[in-house]
Amino acid sequence: MESSDEQLCRAVAERESGAFDLLVERYQERAYRIAWSVVRDREDARDCSQEAFIRLHESAGSFAGQSKFSTWFYRILVNCCLDHQRRRRGWRRLVGWRDRRADGPDEPDPVEQAPAPFTDPVDGMDTERRMTRVWALVDELSPQQRAAVTLSCREGLATKDIAAVLSVSEATVRVHLHRALSTLRRRLGDEG
Amino acid sequence: MKDVHVDEWLIDQVRGDLDPADRARVEAHLAACGDCRASRERFAALMAELARTAPAPPPIRWGAYRAELRERLERRTSGNGRLWAWLARPMPALAAAGLVAVLVMAGLPGGLRAPGTPDPLALDNTILASQLDMIARLDVVQQLDLLEDFNVIGELDELPEPGKS
Repeated sequence: MESSDEQLCRAVAERESGAFDLLVERYQERAYRIAWSVVRDREDARDCSQEAFIRLHESAGSFAGQSKFSTWFYRILVNCCLDHQRRRRGWRRLVGWRDRRADGPDEPDPVEQAPAPFTDPVDGMDTERRMTRVWALVDELSPQQRAAVTLSCREGLATKDIAAVLSVSEATVRVHLHRALSTLRRRLGDEG
Repeated sequence: MKDVHVDEWLIDQVRGDLDPADRARVEAHLAACGDCRASRERFAALMAELARTAPAPPPIRWGAYRAELRERLERRTSGNGRLWAWLARPMPALAAAGLVAVLVMAGLPGGLRAPGTPDPLALDNTILASQLDMIARLDVVQQLDLLEDFNVIGELDELPEPGKS
């Protein structure tokens, strides 16, 4: 019988050979896709998702099994992505880079207001072909809102799981999603 | 009034992600509120479009991805990675800092000697100086019977200069 994610995670904690590779194979595509949804750059998404797997390997022993493994792992992953965005934001501030636009009047943390980074031209052309207008507008949301929209509308996570992943309350997730979708509706309406 | 609307619950209602009590409350409100019904329909259409049109990330080669991950993991858990991880822990870092401080102090002139302890280097210099003095006063030393007048050697300074006695 195939081992569950939770069993595999415990096996990783006990350093059983092969368990980590199995978890990586199960989650690599989802991890890379979610990371890309947040950081919007192929190399950064690759780097962040790999870093999440390394942290999983290091901290598998701390997985208490109180939540699903996927929720616990997504939390590690999203934290890696948001840390990455903060570091990037710090560097941009250091070299005088400024936001093109603010996302909304009631987002207090400027780090969270950073839109998706610019991509290199080749990657950008490739991405553009994949992007619909509505997802191009998702790119302009804050990383927290972008993560909430991705986890909800794309990965199908329940509000309580998104709350656990983003380390916020369920009420905050509802606010994030409501503001994000209201912003999208407004901008789509403006463009339409 | 705005606060009686259920705006922030509409998305969960569309997704079927409400517990029974909240679902009953939201549906009761929707039955009575045309604005919220219209808003719910717009959210539902937008969420359907987001789910249908979600972009695929640029493709990557999974074999290379896993090989790179394995390499990063090995680097992190051994060699430099392990050294840095060890050094990053508080106790080894403190111990290392202490060792560096001791080595620096030992390298400084006068370092690590308790107050009042003779400097071994200074003692060597004194012995050498006395030997130089003996060499300078070789004419006197050669006239001494060392076995009998050994103490004189320690008082060479007090002996009169040759030719002045």
